[in-house]
This record gives sequence, structure tokens and C-alpha cells, in this order.
Amino acid sequence: MLRSVPELWRSRELIRTLAEREIRARYKQAFLGASWAVITPVVLMVVFTVFLKRVAKIDTMGVPYPLFSYLGLLPWTFFSTSVNSGGQSLVSNSSLLNKVYCPREVFPVATVFVAGFDALISTGILGLLFAIYTFPPKITSLWVPVLFIIQIGFTVGVTLAISAVVVYLRDLRQALSILLQLGLFATPVAYGIDDIVPVGFQQIYSAINPLAAVIDGYRRTVVLGLAPRWELVWPAAITTVIVLIVGYSLFKRLETGFADVA
Amino acid sequence: MSQPQGTIAVEHLWKRFKADRGKAQIRDKMARFRARTKGEGGARGYRWALTDVDLDVEPGHSVGLFGANGSGKSTLLKVLCGVMYPYAGRVEVSGRIGALIEVSSGMHPELTGRENTYLFGSLLGLPRGVVARRFDEIVAFAEVENAIDRQLKFYSSGMKMRLGFSVAAFLEPEVMLVDEVLAVGDASFQQKCIDRMRGVLNEGTTLVFVSHDLAAIEATCARGVWLHNGVVQMDAPVADALSAYRRSIEARAEAAQVGGGPLRLTKVEVSGLAGQPARTQESLEIIFRLESDVSDYALLHAGVSEGTASPILLITQTLTLKPGELEVRARIESLPLPRGRFYLWLGAARKGKGQDLISWQPVCQFDVEGLLLDQAPSAIVRLSPVHVRTEWEVSSF
Repeated sequence: MLRSVPELWRSRELIRTLAEREIRARYKQAFLGASWAVITPVVLMVVFTVFLKRVAKIDTMGVPYPLFSYLGLLPWTFFSTSVNSGGQSLVSNSSLLNKVYCPREVFPVATVFVAGFDALISTGILGLLFAIYTFPPKITSLWVPVLFIIQIGFTVGVTLAISAVVVYLRDLRQALSILLQLGLFATPVAYGIDDIVPVGFQQIYSAINPLAAVIDGYRRTVVLGLAPRWELVWPAAITTVIVLIVGYSLFKRLETGFADVA
Repeated sequence: MSQPQGTIAVEHLWKRFKADRGKAQIRDKMARFRARTKGEGGARGYRWALTDVDLDVEPGHSVGLFGANGSGKSTLLKVLCGVMYPYAGRVEVSGRIGALIEVSSGMHPELTGRENTYLFGSLLGLPRGVVARRFDEIVAFAEVENAIDRQLKFYSSGMKMRLGFSVAAFLEPEVMLVDEVLAVGDASFQQKCIDRMRGVLNEGTTLVFVSHDLAAIEATCARGVWLHNGVVQMDAPVADALSAYRRSIEARAEAAQVGGGPLRLTKVEVSGLAGQPARTQESLEIIFRLESDVSDYALLHAGVSEGTASPILLITQTLTLKPGELEVRARIESLPLPRGRFYLWLGAARKGKGQDLISWQPVCQFDVEGLLLDQAPSAIVRLSPVHVRTEWEVSSF
């Protein structure tokens, strides 16, 4: 498995071409110059603010709710877009896979890059929200890169694993959308982690769903001026490392049969 | 121990596919699991696509791969490419591989021709600069200058093949793999491709060429590998391998009875003068004995071919059929065939009504002794061997 990493690095040109092609195609057909992938978190934020906040008692710790939920929507959208598109990246590129040799990882990895690009643009909207609510980011935002690494690691691991499995179990794609919908509510995106998980179980929960720790961390560091809750972050980090290793190994193992079933 | 670039080494390669290859849904897996636990295990059959295949090609050599449909040629090519993995055995190909397997090989339909060329270049591991340098050459060879910036999904299959071949051939691969795609192009482009393949061979690229066009294989490759049902039947100089293959096709055809209807062939004999073997530019005698149940006028066609259904020469005669036996003799003066093995084909039809009395089929084979044809330069592929007596006169002014 370790041998394939340098090969993947050598194929970075290919990843760039694939990602570029996808981004260009999406933004070419864009409405108002913004891709739907970027509008989605905004729309969800509005929906949550208008409907969910009224129904549920959500403790945002003094942060305006739209900002609070958007900070959760950004990483979640990155994750769910990567898994959704990455999941089918191998199947939709089966014509290429079947005829030319290239490191197979480039396809799911390229979709993660595309999701990252969308996230970058969405972060611009975050800046807008800071201005509207006159709630500037705090200096503790310097912790963000640490959380970001966990976010990316977990996303890449899951995307690689799912993309490989989908080649063999095509209907998993449908199940995937439903699972991601569930995930949106199982993860503290529209609310805080304290609202859904009792304190005693929060560590276990972070180990199962690293994104929960990441989102909670973003909220604390960016707008509350607090350090992330390290007791939640380290289980998340461990899970992420495991997921990355297992996901990649699974990918490499299943890779040998792709062309046979595609 | 690394091999020089352009080497292909295949040792004891086995490759199998699950019989139910297409069933990739959860319910199929569940059904299979249930069958296994119930003890009906093994219902999952496997089909062996390649059985103990060995192939060693040195850099700069050319191999033509041929055989019936389903013999495993494309599978072997895909394993060489690295797209499919062996079940058992070792496959090692050193160097950059340029492959054209199926018409839109490696091309993405949403991208334009230009973008696909650069994409293919990166797939081959070439930096953008190198691709840019050869770009114009590639487009000119493929004759797609007008469409190069159009998306590939709008290309005709001929255009796709031309671009695909052009990209694979011009991006300087050390190993070139071409699958039976040339048939999609027109005759002049096919010739261009064959010339280009020869050019690429001259530059030291290793070539593996799969085709049903046996003449194209003979024109391009020095070595022929005949694959049948995943087993290598023969690996020899191309002419020998090809004639063995052609003979097997004919053997299968000959096994069928000649004319089971109202007109039957009971005996056929081919010989030269006075019972001697046939010789070039001498008389050929053919004797048919026919048994007829009907009274009619019939057209009898006899042809000579090298094994294919298209004869090199064809002779026709009208016969008046009556119930009973009939002997027909034909003498061809000055047989224009060079030394070699040939097949006599026969067909008969009711005159005017075109109904087959005997369907067109090979009835016997014969050898011609005598002169060999002059060696043709490698750029010229002869359609059929015909020997003509020529007189040359050269004068200077």
C-alpha cells in the first residue's frame, strides 16, 4: 500500500486535469456564477434557521444561529459531496478504467479536490456572514488547520472505501444518499453536540463520528474564542487515522477486480 | 534485475471471470450467499479466459495476436495494459504503454479532443510540454483539425478511433498495444495506421497487434501467436502461424458434407498434367463427379483461394442436369498461381432462379509446385498471390 503513494504523487497532473475538468463543467453551467454545490449549504442554513430553530431548543452559546449552523454545514457539505460523487467516480469512469492503466485512486481523490474547491467558495460566504452579524472570527481560529486535517483525512478515507465497494455493489449508491441524509441529522450540524449527546457519551460519539468533534471545534475556535475540546478531538483523530489506513487498504485490495466487473 | 524498456514478460498467466460477471447488486450477492449456505455452493461458475499463457517479447519486436472471437485476445491485452490483474502467473511490461483497446480507448466523452490528448498524455506519464510539442502532429495524422475542440461525445466512431490511435502512436510509448479497432476506419486510414505501426516499430517500440484482418497482421508483424479458448495454440513466425490458423478454419468447414440436397458432389480431383502435382504456369485439371436428383440448368462455380471464401480466380460453367451421375472436367491452361497450398471452392445454383444447389464451400486442397513470387517490399501488401509471365525491356536514352 505504501508503494502506491509515490505513484499517486506522480499522477498529480492527472488529478489536476480531472478536477479541473469537473470544476469547469460545473461552473460553466452555473446560474448566477455560483454552482449548486455552493448554494446548498446556504439554502440549508436558511431552512434550518426558519424552521428548525423555532421547533427545537438549540443552545448556540450566544452565536447567531445562521452563523452557528453554517459552520457546521461547511464541513458536512464537503464530506457528503465527496462521498456522494466520489462514491460513483469509479463507476462513471468505467470506460477509462477498462482500457487505460492509471492509478485508480485519482478518481475519488479528484472528487475530493472538487469538493474542496466548492468549500473554498462557500467559505467566502462565511466571510459575508461574519460581516452581516458583526461577529468577527477570533484569534483561536489558528486551531482550525488541526481540525481541518482531521476533516480531510476522514473524508478521503471514507470516499476511497465507498468508491471501491460501489463498483461491486452498485445499488449501494442509492443507500448512500439515504445514509448521508441520516448523517446530516446524526451529526451536530443544525445543533450543537451537547444537544444530542449526553456528556458522558460524547467521547465515544466523537470516535464514531469524527466530524462531530471537528464541527464542535470549528464553532469553539472561530466564533467563541475557545480552544477545541481536546478530549473529543483525540478520539476523532485516532478514528481518522484508522479510517484512512483501512479505507486505502480496502481500496487497493478491491482494485484488482475493477476491470473484471466494470 | 530490471528489463530494458519495452520488454513484455508473461509467465504462466491464468485469468478467470465469474460466470455471472454482470451481477453487481446487493440482492445478487445475497442470493448467492443464500445458495451457498443452503449447500448449493459452487453454483457460481468460473470461466477461464486465459489458461497458462506464456509470452516473451523483446524490445522492438512485433507480435500479431489472432484467433476466434472469445479466444481471450482482448483479455490478454488488458492484462498487459495493467487494467486487469492476473489470477495466477506473472506479467511484467516495462516502459510506457500506449494502448488502443476498443474505439474510444481512454477517452472521456465530456472532454474535447484537445483535452483528451493532454489527459492521455498524463495517463502515459508525460509532462504537458512533451504533449504540446507533438500535438499538431497528432491532430494532423488523425485528420481531426476541425473537430479538435469539440467534445468527444460528438465524434463519429471513425474520428474517435483515429484520434485514439494517433495519440497512442505519437506519444512515444515504449510498448504499443492495438486491439481490433482498425476496422472502424476507412481503408486508406487503415493503411496509414499500418504504416505508422511499422514506423513505430522502426523507432524501437514493441508492438502487440490484435486483429481479425490476417493480411494486416502479416504485413506488420514478424511473429504470430494464435490464441484459441484462452490457450496458445501456436507461437511462431507469422506466416506459419497464420497458415495453421487458416487451415483449422478450413478443416472445420470441410467437415460438413458437401451439398446434402438434390445435387451432391461425390468425388473431386485436382492435378496437373498427366496426374502430376500442379505447377505454376502449367495446366491444372479438375474433375468433379456429381450426383443429381433433378432436371434443370445449373451454374457451376469453382474457385481457388488461399483459404478464405474470396477466391483468387473463379471459373463458371452451365450444366444441364439430369437425374443420375455426371462427370465434369475443367482444364485451366497456364495456372497463374505461385508455389503454395490452395483450396478449391465449389458452388452450384439453379440457372436463372439463383437457388443454391450446392452452397459455396471448400471441397479439397491441393499444392502447387513451381515458382515463388518475388519478395514484395514491406510497404506493399499483396491482396492475392498471382503469378504472371512478364517480359521486361529497359533502354536508356
